[in-house]
Amino acid sequence: MVMTAPQPTTQRLPHSTPQISPQSVPQASQSEIGQLEPERDDAIAFEDVAVTYSTPGDDQRPVLSGIDLTIPRGQFIALVGRSGCGKTTLLNLVAGLVEPSEGAVTVLGQEPRAARRHLGFMLARDALMPWRDARRNVEYGLELRGIAKAERRAIADHWLEAVQLTHAQHLWPWQLSQGMRQRVALARTWALDPNVLLMDEPYASVDVNTRLALQTRFLDLWQSEEHRTVMFVTHDLSEAIALADRVVLLGGGRILDDVTVQIERPRDLGAINANPHYQQVYERLRGQLF
Amino acid sequence: MRTMDETLPSFTADQPWTRAGVSRSPRRLRWSRETLIVRGLQVLVGLALLGLWQLAASNRWPDPVLAKTPLQTWHYLVHSASSGELWSNTRATLTAVLIAWVLAGAAGVVAGVALALLPRAERVLTPYLDAANAMPRIALAPLFIVALGINTSAKVAMASTLVFFIILSGARAGVRSTDAEWLRLSAVLGAKKHQVFRKILLPVATPAIFAALRLGLIYSLLGVVGSELISARNGLGQLIAYDSSTFRMEGVYGILILLAVLAVVLNQGLGLLERRLLRWQPPADR
Ligand SMILES: Nc1ncnc2c1ncn2[C@@H]1O[C@H](COP(=O)(O)OP(=O)(O)O)[C@@H](O)[C@H]1O
Ligand SMILES: [Mg+2]
Repeated sequence: MVMTAPQPTTQRLPHSTPQISPQSVPQASQSEIGQLEPERDDAIAFEDVAVTYSTPGDDQRPVLSGIDLTIPRGQFIALVGRSGCGKTTLLNLVAGLVEPSEGAVTVLGQEPRAARRHLGFMLARDALMPWRDARRNVEYGLELRGIAKAERRAIADHWLEAVQLTHAQHLWPWQLSQGMRQRVALARTWALDPNVLLMDEPYASVDVNTRLALQTRFLDLWQSEEHRTVMFVTHDLSEAIALADRVVLLGGGRILDDVTVQIERPRDLGAINANPHYQQVYERLRGQLF
Repeated sequence: MRTMDETLPSFTADQPWTRAGVSRSPRRLRWSRETLIVRGLQVLVGLALLGLWQLAASNRWPDPVLAKTPLQTWHYLVHSASSGELWSNTRATLTAVLIAWVLAGAAGVVAGVALALLPRAERVLTPYLDAANAMPRIALAPLFIVALGINTSAKVAMASTLVFFIILSGARAGVRSTDAEWLRLSAVLGAKKHQVFRKILLPVATPAIFAALRLGLIYSLLGVVGSELISARNGLGQLIAYDSSTFRMEGVYGILILLAVLAVVLNQGLGLLERRLLRWQPPADR
């Protein structure tokens, strides 16, 4: 099923992102975010997972079944599938917001809820809080974790600069464009230094040009460090192939296909659909998606 | 790979806040001109009303007993203010108004938030709350006076029955408008219950609570004055009752106007505070 799989980390080419150097990133100290279990290599594992929602009329509604999926650390995996096929449910399992009816989900070797402090979460709607300005939205997660004000400021400064929003840090969310709002959400996510990033159609609500800019920015950030696992949900097949190391196709509550994308990084997202491998993967998955 | 700045629309190009008028000075200028026009028109409307009143009184349109001119009313107010009577009664009324507003307001916020968070309790209590709120509260005034005596407590109790329900529904509606995504995000970020309350629910509910508090302040005034009209030792309502029983209609008019002015001033004061606390809202929502 899998088209030959080189380790994702070996595919990455050295490159530079001027604004972001990993060494200079102020981060919450280990004591605050807790220790990882070092010996585990899988970031996320689904073992024969099924989810059944019970609906008001005592109906059982099967949404996912027989999901077996192992995501190595540092992999950028995209989940594609038609709307309503259970993509969000799959992310919610990882975030511990939904319990599996059968099987088990393991995140960084732990039970999902226990691993929450290592998670970053980005949603289609940016979920910015209108009563916080851009900067304080970035600081939200840090505040919840009780990180001291000075450290919070330093971290927020860094990530606001990384998404080029230093000039807009004191604006209220209603004063920001959709693209800027998503960048604030990105900075908020990154500020927590998550090991695993869960992204639920984060660019579904922005226009094409803004999306391309946001995707590029996101890939730059992701490639500037090695250790973040990304689970990226989208209904947009081309976005999935363009961004990910691996694309998993969901349909009818099951995994229909699992493809490794062998396009070297850094990728030129604007021209990626001219890549023959891209086209090959696209053709293969498109047939099953529609 | 070409660098992002060559190939992609620049991030710094999208600056909607320049459109939205964040640049301070021109906006303030525009506002102040608008304010001037509004204030001017308000003065004109006030003068027109006074003129109409004067016309009605001097032409004896109503019963001669009722026909007192603005000037007579003014003389009454000046006289009663210089004797100290007006001030002590205003203070008595306002004290009760504020106590009822603060106590019932706090209770209403707590109850409203609790009901929004406890759907079952809400379902159980809703018919009782609706029934209590539909009751003509003025009918309770004698009851409070018998139970608590002719004093501030009776006035406060009366006003509280009005204020409590207003604030309760405001707070409940406010909390209900919470976006599920904020809760989802907070849950994943490991927010504790008290953090969700302080950092999400309270700010979400603030606009609705504020709207209710403004309304509640007016109803507190109505409740206190209503209680004083029925029986009290002091207060503006008691003055009205006394003046109207002795047919000093200029006194009744004067105090009614004073009450109206008080209501406007209190409301505007709260409006200022609200604008400060809710400065994060887009101007159209304020
Ligand atoms: N809490 C829930 N209760 C009942 N049904 C749900 C719930 N959440 C999602 N569903 C249903 O499960 C299916 C999958 O939903 P979701 O995971 O959101 O799909 P996707 O994100 O792929 O669009 C949908 O048919 C949806 O209606
Ligand atoms: Mg979804």
